[in-house]
Amino acid sequence: MSAPALPVADARSAARRSPAARPRKIKVAHPRAIAIFIVPFAVLFTLFYLIPIGYAIYQSLLVVERDGTFGKATQVFGGLTQYIAVFQNGPFWESIGRVLAFGVVQVPVMLGLALLFALLLDSPLLRGKRFFRLAFFVPYAVPGVIAAIMWGFLYSPNLSPFTALTSNVSFLSADLVLWAIANVVTWVYVGYNMLIIYSALLAIPTEIYEAARLDGAGQLRIAWSIKIPLIMPAIVLTGIFSIIGTLQLLAEPQVFRTFSSAVTSTFTPNLMVYSTSSIPNVSLAAAFSVVLALATFVLSFSFLKFTQRKEGK
Amino acid sequence: MRITKRAATVALLTAATVALTGCSAAGGGTTGGDDAAACEPAEGKVDLTFTSWIPGIEDVVDVWNKANPDIQVAVQTGPNGNGGTYANFFNQLEAGNAPDLGQIEYDALPNFRVQDGLMNLASCDGVLDAKADFVDWTWGQVSFNEDDSVYAIPQDSGPMAMFYRADLFEANGIAIPTTWDEFATAAEQVRATGSYITNFSQSDINQFAGLVWQAGGTWFGNDGTDWNVDLTGDESIKVADYWQDLIDRDLVSTQPPWTTEWDNAYNTGAAWTWNSAAWGANSIASGAPDTAGKWAVAASPQWEAGDEASGNWGGSSTAVFTGSKHPYEAAQFALWLNSSSESLTMLNESANLYPAAKDGLDLPVLKEGVEFYGDQPIYDVFAKASGEVSSDFVWGPTMTQTYNDVSDGFKAAVSGNGTLAEALTTGQSATIKALQAQSIPVKE
Repeated sequence: MSAPALPVADARSAARRSPAARPRKIKVAHPRAIAIFIVPFAVLFTLFYLIPIGYAIYQSLLVVERDGTFGKATQVFGGLTQYIAVFQNGPFWESIGRVLAFGVVQVPVMLGLALLFALLLDSPLLRGKRFFRLAFFVPYAVPGVIAAIMWGFLYSPNLSPFTALTSNVSFLSADLVLWAIANVVTWVYVGYNMLIIYSALLAIPTEIYEAARLDGAGQLRIAWSIKIPLIMPAIVLTGIFSIIGTLQLLAEPQVFRTFSSAVTSTFTPNLMVYSTSSIPNVSLAAAFSVVLALATFVLSFSFLKFTQRKEGK
Repeated sequence: MRITKRAATVALLTAATVALTGCSAAGGGTTGGDDAAACEPAEGKVDLTFTSWIPGIEDVVDVWNKANPDIQVAVQTGPNGNGGTYANFFNQLEAGNAPDLGQIEYDALPNFRVQDGLMNLASCDGVLDAKADFVDWTWGQVSFNEDDSVYAIPQDSGPMAMFYRADLFEANGIAIPTTWDEFATAAEQVRATGSYITNFSQSDINQFAGLVWQAGGTWFGNDGTDWNVDLTGDESIKVADYWQDLIDRDLVSTQPPWTTEWDNAYNTGAAWTWNSAAWGANSIASGAPDTAGKWAVAASPQWEAGDEASGNWGGSSTAVFTGSKHPYEAAQFALWLNSSSESLTMLNESANLYPAAKDGLDLPVLKEGVEFYGDQPIYDVFAKASGEVSSDFVWGPTMTQTYNDVSDGFKAAVSGNGTLAEALTTGQSATIKALQAQSIPVKE
């Protein structure tokens, strides 16, 4: 396990050491060329990333003042008023709890399946790999909203082609709808995550497998002791993407609102943001968004730290 | 290293500057909603933009554009109001690029006025004089019952009646209910055949409001200094308890409305009646095409035998948004759209709109039998209902939120958690909170 992991660790520590080892003054060659290459990115990044974030933070610090029942509204600085409202908002934290429960179950299942499929595609035992690679990936090509509508029909008691099942098990009820949505999300994203993991598998040099086989390792042993440790960074990456995706669930529950009595306007944090902004209470919606972004950041970052520490051991 | 740091600083500074200028521009753009000062015709050709969701509105606008080469209207269509168009309008108003004109239902007008989104058209030529041309309660809605205010031109109204499957009632020997008591009895008889008398909508809170309206209740009040929120008045609770009882006894179905599943229930005869508005004629015809000729329309069931009260569900107006540079031309178009017999006939044919203009009620097209309804002249029923709609019903300033919160509670109630009356109580406190969050004065 430690032998193949070494080059990675070496490279990383080398990278960490390098700036200190080099002399402090670096003469930048071609500063203009660098600027020309960076400017298009920097402009777009600023316009569509930094400014919206800055504006959301600014907006979240405002409160509305008005007088009279139809008085003109003026937005004034309100400090952290909106954030206090966020922390006092029960439904918002319930929705966070809901997506966390969703993530704790759905993300491992999805990534487990993605890993399994990737390993199967990579193993010499499976035939028809090109077919399966495409077949597993195809659901990702279906837009999320369309997938949700399709599954909504499949779950509907009277429209489903599987009425024998759907008339007995109510997939759209309060008890099951979260997991019905989890199934849709899993169906869509397994192939996508599988592809990321699979491409990491393809990057492993074949000599390592040869050496393992010479040492007497079978396919299972190779998968467990060589492949999985080596593609850990890819798995961590898909894990982070999935955590972010889970906290930001919007399209699927929004579509399911029309199919199910159990999906409320505050079902997920992003639905809550959406409903709040259509009141319209933009400042509170902005505060929700900022808190949600911070929560996402903290979660992804701790996941990264946690997995890195494990790797380091 | 240092270059990237500097670049980052520059980027941040630029971001901050742009953000700040952006804000001040937006702040400057939201002025002038209440002053009805200038409403003068412009010189030369004027281009207007108009957003609506009415089926066939493009053809009506084409007729206007051909007749008025100097006032050209470009129409854009989207989903219905609460389905997304209102959210777009609010965003566009915030960004300062709203269209000149927009389709707005009566229940959303206070919301747009509170957000300073509507232009007062009272000083535009011909607008105040048009008051007499429109059904009284619709004018009350667009003028907020104020003398010098006209925040939109009424387009259509949604007087409610009962659509029912005439063939099924007759074949099973069930009497057409005229009171809500009879409706409950009929519900038992229909249930005995395996079907449901109707579907209770968990998300059409405006339909429920229409039923409360019929019962003589109102949800909001505005005395000029404070809003009053009253979702839990006696009439509201009476209506809620009535439907809760039908739900508890499994006498009405509770499918999510406007889904294929719901259409399917009407198309296959699994649901027999729908308490809906005049425009609902279109919804049934398109959602349940296999039942053509089998439907009929009767007056809404009454709370007391012999009463003659009707509720209203929906109906909308054409408003001019704050920021429009051509309110005069926009008002002229809105008046034509909603009172010319040419336009009203087309809107009725394409979308079954029931005009808010008094003259519109006498259109030949509204006197004819409708094929889908067994050639019954169904608009006679709605004409009578229209005259029975109380003009006291007031809408609140955050209806999207009120609908969402009450609907969340209704959804829970039809799933067996809580009751409709409890949902109204939750909606009441949530609405008060939402008003307070926006500093809208409200009585607690």
